Amino acid sequence: MPVYDLKRLAAVPSASELVDIVLMRTQRKTPTVVHPGYKITRIRSFYMRKVKFTQQTISERLGAIVQDFPRLDDVHPFHSDLMGVLYDRDHYKLALGQLNTCKKLCETVTRDYVRLIKYADSLYRCKSLKVAALGRMMTLLKRQRASLGYLEEVRKHLGRLPALDPSARTLLVCGFPNVGKSSFMNKVTRAEVEVQPYAFTTKSLYVGHMDHRYLRWQVIDTPGILDHELEKRNVIEMQAVTALAHLPCAVLFFVDVSEQCGYTIEQQSSLFHSIRALFADKQLVLVANKTDAKKVEDLDAGRKQLLEDMLSAHRTNGPGGDEMAKMVEMSNVTEQGVADVKNLACDLLLAHRVEKRRAYQGGARVRDRLNRLHGTTPDAVEDIRKVAAAARSEADAAEARVAKAAPRPTERDVMWRNGGPGVYSADLTREYIGQLKCDEWRTDLVPEIMDGKNVLDFVDEDIVAKLALLDEDEAEAEEGLESAAREAAHAALSPAELALVTAVRDKKVLNRRVAQAARGRRNAPVPRQARLRSEGAAGNDEDDATVRGRAKSAAVKRTRSLSRPSERDGRAAARAEAMDVDGDADANPAKKQKRSASRGDAHRSQSRPPPRDEQGLNEADQDAAREIGKKMQKKMNRMARSGEADRKTGPKLIRWMNEGKMGRGARNCR
Amino acid sequence: MRVGKCYFCSSPIYPGHGIAFARNDAKLFHFCRSKCHKNFNLKRNPRKVRWTKAFRKVHGKEMTVDTTFEMEKRRNRPVKYDRDLVGTTLRAMQRASEVQEKRAELHYVNRMAAHKVKAAVRARVEIKESVDLIESSEAVKEAVMVDKLEAQKQKVNI
Repeated sequence: MPVYDLKRLAAVPSASELVDIVLMRTQRKTPTVVHPGYKITRIRSFYMRKVKFTQQTISERLGAIVQDFPRLDDVHPFHSDLMGVLYDRDHYKLALGQLNTCKKLCETVTRDYVRLIKYADSLYRCKSLKVAALGRMMTLLKRQRASLGYLEEVRKHLGRLPALDPSARTLLVCGFPNVGKSSFMNKVTRAEVEVQPYAFTTKSLYVGHMDHRYLRWQVIDTPGILDHELEKRNVIEMQAVTALAHLPCAVLFFVDVSEQCGYTIEQQSSLFHSIRALFADKQLVLVANKTDAKKVEDLDAGRKQLLEDMLSAHRTNGPGGDEMAKMVEMSNVTEQGVADVKNLACDLLLAHRVEKRRAYQGGARVRDRLNRLHGTTPDAVEDIRKVAAAARSEADAAEARVAKAAPRPTERDVMWRNGGPGVYSADLTREYIGQLKCDEWRTDLVPEIMDGKNVLDFVDEDIVAKLALLDEDEAEAEEGLESAAREAAHAALSPAELALVTAVRDKKVLNRRVAQAARGRRNAPVPRQARLRSEGAAGNDEDDATVRGRAKSAAVKRTRSLSRPSERDGRAAARAEAMDVDGDADANPAKKQKRSASRGDAHRSQSRPPPRDEQGLNEADQDAAREIGKKMQKKMNRMARSGEADRKTGPKLIRWMNEGKMGRGARNCR
Repeated sequence: MRVGKCYFCSSPIYPGHGIAFARNDAKLFHFCRSKCHKNFNLKRNPRKVRWTKAFRKVHGKEMTVDTTFEMEKRRNRPVKYDRDLVGTTLRAMQRASEVQEKRAELHYVNRMAAHKVKAAVRARVEIKESVDLIESSEAVKEAVMVDKLEAQKQKVNI
């Protein structure tokens, strides 16, 4: 049975608040960013999550309310009836039931819409479906406005109900309105209940506490009860009736002897008789109140008789068997008899409770325990012992006989007999005797590994059957192999085709090689500088002309070291020509070449650079230069250098993070 | 003594070879050599490394499903030694490995069949396009034609 704390129910939000709560939570706790460009599965799951989350929140909230509020069947019957009277049992149950239904409907809506979103094909559709789903759920929530409002009111009222413990020691004060119940309450406790000279000042149950015999007692003040049928009683009276019906307590029935309350003793007596059934099995004290105005002795005989009848009508099953109820005279004004009433009622109840407890402990509890015990007595123990003893003595005798006949040699004895330690090796397989199917197998060397496989992995009872299956399959497999071979033969090339294709391919290879040779790229490429140098060195030979003819290098021309000797040659040639008076220019073709070559420069100072249009590289060389430049750049790029001069090495540790004063704190606190 | 299996390349690990790594969830990883161990440490997936058995099996280069594989099974239940049974088992192992070899061969042939057809087609195309490179191509061409005819005839006969 769940334990309900009626005082601490969580507040029930109103319908509109609940809608706000749910939507805010969905907005805050689910992702909010989605784009049409996302994968459709992602978009779908985004919206499905929203719908599901909303439903979860609603279920959580409504479920909490339904769980929190006490189920009328589960609480103490007093509370159950009281709540039934105060809040209307049907209304209460309906309200909770409607919340539960709403929760289930939300779940259905969610299930349906999630199913739809699963097949939505665009963000827009998904979104529309989500909006629809949330809208329907919110409508459902809004319809719960009345139930939620009602439950909130109930919660507030429950919180204000007196903290009444049904199982505590209780005195219950009841009687007609205005007979002095609340005044008595104020006298014995510190509850400070409102006392007014009109009927129904007390409209609900009040609880006060007092001490008696170092025990704590609660005194319950009830609203006045009128003498009419149960059905006609109003909510205020019904509370008193409920308390009377369900609380095990001592009842103080107040009778206004002076009749100042406006009801005659006859009427009061009639009320007493009509609700007498509720006092059954309870300790009753009849309190003749307001004795300051009129004493019991002063009453006329008829009235006295009525009081007597009331007393005799009730029988308490007290410790001394059936006892009549007791009457005490009391006056709240003079405080005469107040203590008497209190003491009497308390003592009666206490005696009853003690007796009940004792009865339980002495009788019922012992019976309880006894039922759980079960005793047995083993019989014929003696016989068993005899048999066992006989068997034991026989076995002992047999053992003794064997031991006398031949003492069993120990392993040590065997070792010494067979050459001692180091020579004798124990035959461990002796342990296997009788274990295997055939004793001679015990010395077998069992292979563990064969052909890279564990023999034990193959050991199987059904190995023969498996092998047979394998052989069957094998026949098929061989057929397969043959057919595959046949097919392959079909597709394969004929010998003539094979010869032809081989020839063609050989020819192609040959052609490729020839082409390569023609390109002169067979050897490793010579570095450009080396080539220049060799060409420069060759500048004096007859190849010089061809080198120039190819316009190999304007750069070569420009480099001083290379150009110099040729010009020197030029000058030497000039000198020679000057000396050669015959002037047979054609006799030396090389000389002629040089002259004609240098003729362009004749009118130009040697220290001057060549004209702009001759400067720089020709197109072919430009390409080559670009290639070289790229190649040179490669390594720098790889090392992330800006150029050759970039030799920067960055700091391995970042300075500001690793120097300066450090406290005792962790390093990662920075 | 058992022959283990390399976690990475699936090759057999004979007693005294390889290295084992015990992860903190008590899973054991055996490696046949440092190469496999290093590859494992590099967090490589054996299914994605071309030279492992796992790769070959995943990519259909080797047989994966076969009755011969089912014969080999790790049995954790101890069986009492029986000479006859072990003898049969040893013979069965030999037979199984023979069969397995054959099937592997068939698997290879099947796998390569399409490739061979393709190669032949390629060769024919090449012949057609570049036969002019060769001198005396006329005679060879004729021979090829005769071959083709015969092949067609054979096909029709079958």
